[in-house]
This record gives sequence, structure tokens and C-alpha cells, in this order.
Amino acid sequence: MSLWAAQVWLGMAIAVIGISMHRTGPAFRRHPFGAPVALLGLAVMLFRVEEPPQPESEVVAAAIDAAMWLLPALIGSALVLMGAPLYWRTRLLPLLAGWALIVVAWCQYYSTMSVVLSDTLRWVTALLGVVLAFTVFALCVRTAERMTPQEPETEGLSEKERKYVESVLRRHLEVADEP
Amino acid sequence: MNPNLESVISAFAGSAALTSLFIILALIGTLNPYHRPAIPMLGASTVILASTYLFAQTGSIPADSVALRLTMSEGVLALLDIFPLVFLVCTFMFLQASLRKRPEDPLLALLESEPGSE
Repeated sequence: MSLWAAQVWLGMAIAVIGISMHRTGPAFRRHPFGAPVALLGLAVMLFRVEEPPQPESEVVAAAIDAAMWLLPALIGSALVLMGAPLYWRTRLLPLLAGWALIVVAWCQYYSTMSVVLSDTLRWVTALLGVVLAFTVFALCVRTAERMTPQEPETEGLSEKERKYVESVLRRHLEVADEP
Repeated sequence: MNPNLESVISAFAGSAALTSLFIILALIGTLNPYHRPAIPMLGASTVILASTYLFAQTGSIPADSVALRLTMSEGVLALLDIFPLVFLVCTFMFLQASLRKRPEDPLLALLESEPGSE
């Protein structure tokens, strides 16, 4: 495998590790290195001196083509989630900007798509492949958990711990603590 | 082999292998002292190897590192193909989320009902 081919796969691996790191931790304080590591991975994957060999060049070309609609789709989705009344009250500006970007993403996809009937079968089998991978993973997790010796039941929270948990919940659900 | 059938099998093998690779990378990215990743990693590696073997058999090529790269590349292309379907589902969910009213928080209600809370 050439250096440039390895760079594509290394970049993708770093990006996926970064995204996974970002998902750890509580929602209000994500892992501080997650986003930088993911961006580093994307940079390693996409910026290179030489053209990677086949099949990696095809992967990079397809990823760049897909980015034309995926980028507005991702940014739009993030803005809609920020603006929708999920965790906070409705915030109109991010919500409208998000929907505008989602519409742009669909327009962009519609202008470049070329779907034929045989693609449908390919989509279904690709979905089946994803389902198979997750099913095997779920079965393996279940096996690992069954093999883990049971720990004694945890004791209930003390009064101090209960107050602490209560204060954390109140702060992050935007309810002011009483003095 | 029929090219359509070959394309379908390669999409299946590629997406299974790439998803398993992502699972292994996610396990690495979220490693912590309470993790027991050995068995899930073994399972995901088995799926990758089996998919590569299937891909190699379909394309009549040796099951080596080139077959592994081809399988993963096919996986990227297959997943990029199904992203629009995922985005379609997400768009409907976003629409529902945008139009709904924020529900009363059950956690806060629970705190209020706890004996001893102010």
C-alpha cells in the first residue's frame, strides 16, 4: 500500500475516533479533544501532495462530491437541533437558517443525483450489511456483559450526594437554584 | 458473475466491513476503565475478515490486503449511497422536532415531588 493510500485510511480512522471522542461525556461538556481530532482526521484524509492510487482516489473523489450536499445538510441539521424546542425554547434564527441550509442540501443533491432502478437493490443490501455489523456487535456486547461478574448492589445516595445531583440537574435544565 | 449481482454483494460486504471498522474505531475513541472491548472487537474483526473473503470470492481476486482496501472502498461508496435515505428520515424527524411544543420536564417534576425538596 502506498503512503498516499495509507494517508486516506489513516485520516478517516482519526476522523472517526475524533467523532467518537466527541460523543463521550455529558451533553453540556463534551470531550475537549473530540472536535479537533476529527478535523485533523479530515485534513489528513483530504489534503495531500500526490493523488492517491485506486481505489482510494475514487473514495476521496466520492467524498468530495458528497460533501457538496453533506456539508450544508450537517450544518443545517445542527442549526435546526439548536433552534428546535428540544432542550430550550424555540430559537427562531438558528431554526430558519438551519431549514434554509437543509433545503439547499436537498436542492444540491437533487441537481447531482442520478438514481437508476438497480441502485435500489444496492441500497437495500448496503443497509443489510450495516444491520449485520450492528447485530454482531450487539451480540458481542451481550456476551461480554454476561461474562462480567455481577457487582454488589450500589448503596443509595447520601443526603449530600442527593443535593449535588439535584443542583446539577437544576442548573443544566435552566432552573435557577434557590439561595 | 452477473455484474448487478456482483455490485449488490460488494455493497453488502463493503458496508458490513466498513461499519465494523467504524465500530472498532469508536471503541478505541471511547476507551475508558469500565470498557470491556475485547469480545466486541473480536466480533467486528471477524465481520471485516468474512466480508473481505466474500468480496474476494465474488471478484475472483486473492483475499489479501488489496481485497481489504477494495472492500472498504466499496463500503464508503455504499454508505455514501444510503446517506440520502438517512437524511430523508432525519429531515422528517427535524420537521416533527421543529413543530412540537417543548414538553414539561419529567426530571424537574420528579424533583419537585420528592419528599424533602423545597
